[in-house]
Amino acid sequence: MSRPRTQAEYLARLVPSSVAGVNRRTLLAGAAGAGSLLGTGLLAGCGGSDSGGSDAKTVSMGSNASDPTPKDVLAKLSAAFKTSSGVEVAINTVDHNTFQENINNYLQGKPDDTFTWFAGYRMRFFAERGLAGDISDVWGKLSGFSDAFKKASTGDDGKQYFVPFSYYPWAVFYRKSVWQQHGYQVPKSLDELTTLSNQMKRDGLVPIAFADKDGWPAMGTFDILNLRINGYQFHIDLMAGKESWTSDKVKKVFDTWAGLLPLHQPDALGRTWQEAAQSLQQKKSGMYLLGLFVAQQFNADEQDDIDFFTFPEIDPAIGAKALDAPIDGYMMARKPKSEANAKKLLEYIGGVDAANIAVKTDPGTLVANTTADTSGYSALQKKAAELVGSATEIAQFLDRDTRPDFASTVIIPALQQFIKDPKDIDGLTNSIENQKKSIFTS
Amino acid sequence: MSTGTLTRPPAAQDARPARRRPTPQRVVLHVFLAAVAIGWLFPVIWSVLTSLRSYEYTATHGYVSFGGWTIDNYVTAWQTAEFGKHFLNSVYITVPAVLLTLFLASCVAFVIARFNWKINLVLLGLFTAANLLPQQALLIPLFRLFTQVPLPAFMSDSELLYDSYWGLILINVAFQCGFCVFVLSNYMKALPRDLYEAAMVDGASIWRQYWQVTMPLCRPALAALATLEVTWIYNEFFWATVLMRTGDKFPVTSSLNNLRGEFFTDNNLVSAGSVLVAIPTLVIFFLLQRHFVRGLTLGASKG
Repeated sequence: MSRPRTQAEYLARLVPSSVAGVNRRTLLAGAAGAGSLLGTGLLAGCGGSDSGGSDAKTVSMGSNASDPTPKDVLAKLSAAFKTSSGVEVAINTVDHNTFQENINNYLQGKPDDTFTWFAGYRMRFFAERGLAGDISDVWGKLSGFSDAFKKASTGDDGKQYFVPFSYYPWAVFYRKSVWQQHGYQVPKSLDELTTLSNQMKRDGLVPIAFADKDGWPAMGTFDILNLRINGYQFHIDLMAGKESWTSDKVKKVFDTWAGLLPLHQPDALGRTWQEAAQSLQQKKSGMYLLGLFVAQQFNADEQDDIDFFTFPEIDPAIGAKALDAPIDGYMMARKPKSEANAKKLLEYIGGVDAANIAVKTDPGTLVANTTADTSGYSALQKKAAELVGSATEIAQFLDRDTRPDFASTVIIPALQQFIKDPKDIDGLTNSIENQKKSIFTS
Repeated sequence: MSTGTLTRPPAAQDARPARRRPTPQRVVLHVFLAAVAIGWLFPVIWSVLTSLRSYEYTATHGYVSFGGWTIDNYVTAWQTAEFGKHFLNSVYITVPAVLLTLFLASCVAFVIARFNWKINLVLLGLFTAANLLPQQALLIPLFRLFTQVPLPAFMSDSELLYDSYWGLILINVAFQCGFCVFVLSNYMKALPRDLYEAAMVDGASIWRQYWQVTMPLCRPALAALATLEVTWIYNEFFWATVLMRTGDKFPVTSSLNNLRGEFFTDNNLVSAGSVLVAIPTLVIFFLLQRHFVRGLTLGASKG
């Protein structure tokens, strides 16, 4: 039986067939009365806009692109998709942070046909629980993605659940003018980095800008140290809860970090990343490990003065080829209203036209599709794309590589505790391990 | 009393006991009151001041500075967070929820106050106890329930209680009824019983006793409760965030999050948004202030 479309139809349906004989008329009158009592004046407001879900010409998308530029990209994408396929995209924008915090509810409730999400563990987590739709056949039609991106889009069962769209790398940023003035060279090893930092101190600079008021920036430092010291596979296993946090490998990461901490900007817990980035911009600090979005804090005429290098090698056996490069993209819900349209949209998003639109609209991002026309990239973007292209493995950033609850309730306070008191590494790792056990077994 | 002293001739004033010097207790009291008042006003004034300054200025000079005045934050906040639409959403939720809460609560309160049934105390206890229940503890069962209850398409385009205004109204009514029953039943108990006896002699039905005798007398209490409930339901943020999935249907409090960026949050802009969101509660309070204060004192002194 189809869903009733009008109020009268609905009320008529409420009458059980056993009483639908003699009493039907009176019952209906009563029901209509009750309905109008509750409904008058409100129906217009509560009905909301027309859903049109069963219409074959629409597809819905849940979007976390609430910032003006990404929102604009998505609007242009959906307009272009409409002209090419005739299918209209109904975009449901929820602000980035709320969307992220509510994702579990959202996917278990009644999600839109397609939605924005992140690659890596966060994608696999929902794929494994059957909350995301298999789009392996869409991947069969996609081209221009490197193997690292395909790996990041693949669930534990070997099927693809994700179409990558944009990404940005984490690296150590600096101002060319400052480095030229003092004659600094890009360090190739941890020792060189330490020597350079000490030189910066003597030159009156804060060697490494640092901030962790919001909790997440320090994760970048942990990630890169772990990737350099223990390698990609250990990092991923550690994030997935398979390795122990009390192992010597993890302790070595914290030991190394504790050695570097005096070279970082002090009192990081009271500083936001914007303020740390501004200290770099104001030439008060020498370098800053952050994502490409650090460029947002620089004026337009200073953009060409920004440069970066990937965090130097610590263990020659592991090298310096892995890095954090969070990938944003799109997924399909487990039961979309129109699977054909949803897949058509995802295929379009993974294609070269969509990537070209993004390059033109958003200068702060890098597109995942390598066949896109990147002549519009700035020098910084080009270099960032090369860096990620040459990476052997791509991690997604700590809070995307592990369970969200573990990242926010355990790791954030633990890292902040470490920054406050870097001495008690044993106590810290024990505490993380204990909490990890209770979270990952729940 | 104060007007009396003012119109009295000076000679008469001298005849009265000389005005007492402030005792140490009074000085302490006033210092304490002033401190509390500043403590309460400080965050409000601070956010109003912040909202009127440009981010560039406060980013370079810090918040403890003076200058950079602008009203751009208000314009930007109104536009980026689409407050016009979201204010309307808040109205769709708040108005029916408050009316329904007051109606249902007054019905229960009337029964508890008017009749001497054994169940009354238990009933009152039940409603009051529900106030103590942490709402968040019910999140998961309610969420599951809401995704299982179908609604016809003309009531909500989600076709579920989940992601519909109906669901939010229902939640708010359910959680606010307890407090209103508690207040209203106490208020109704204070009404003289003779009124009901007289009404019965005149042949008034129970409904009439409720609607035409009790309710008009409860107006101060209802007005006071309406003020409180509008503020509470309007400010409600948690359920609207959890039980809604369509960004366009969020009430204004939840849509305030639209002002936060992915990597970057302009605190001045958020302050401007918060001030805008706070205005309706202030308007309601000042409109109903007279009733509100009278309702409180009437309830307290038990006329």
